[in-house]
Amino acid sequence: MKLIRSTPSSLGRVSDFDEWFRHPFAGLPSLGQFFNNLSEVFPGVPGDRLAVDVHEDKDNYYASFEVPGVKKDDVKIELNNGLLTVSAEKREKNGDNESSFSLTRSVSVPDGVSADGIAAKLEDGILNVTLPKAENRKPRTIALS
Amino acid sequence: MNATCAPRSTAPATSGVTESLRKPLYNVSGSAEAYEVRIEMPGVPKNGVKIDLEDNILTVRGERTVNVPEGMKALHRELSPLSYLLRLRLNTPVDEDKMNAKLEDGVLILRLPIKEAAKPRQIPVL
Repeated sequence: MKLIRSTPSSLGRVSDFDEWFRHPFAGLPSLGQFFNNLSEVFPGVPGDRLAVDVHEDKDNYYASFEVPGVKKDDVKIELNNGLLTVSAEKREKNGDNESSFSLTRSVSVPDGVSADGIAAKLEDGILNVTLPKAENRKPRTIALS
Repeated sequence: MNATCAPRSTAPATSGVTESLRKPLYNVSGSAEAYEVRIEMPGVPKNGVKIDLEDNILTVRGERTVNVPEGMKALHRELSPLSYLLRLRLNTPVDEDKMNAKLEDGVLILRLPIKEAAKPRQIPVL
């Protein structure tokens, strides 16, 4: 027989994560709504928030952000109070004119991510951030002796 | 880079398979010498880009490779897995042999030099 240990907080973990994503501008729901509508009408307008995918396996969470045309040096990733914020500065050259605008997206990181192990890679315009789950938060099976 | 330019290839027969594609964001700028087309195709690797020019129609395809490893569960999805297709009709003849393309950080940059014969020229008054 196997027992899977679970703590109340880990039970709530995924749904917490989900809830946050449904309200990416949790403090500013009306603003979030505004941006959502705006990007439907004008896809890709400057000021648009970065699109993100989040996956999970037993060891890590993976967040992928779309940042076409952004150089490695123009990406800033910050973890502050359980909030992962990605800011990307996009520079566009048009003849002699150069314009730039920044794109930002914050996602709530569940408890139990080991902050020291967060790694990021930029490839073909996609920024992949890997957030390792802390050892003591991984599901574990306890063998009954 | 692996972009192929087939100026006079025969048009592919319409296959029975319907494929979902989306139009990428793009920007065209130009001078008297050349056009520059910048196409945003995040997630497309170099070998996933195909460029064709036929009858003044530029066709750019970008195959997006989605590699979600085994055992991975999606918690939230916003990125579209669809590949990109852009067709542009050129109203100025371009020099097919001097076209070049590069893929940089998910943006395809195409340079299309304008044919000598199509460039504006000054005619001196005698």
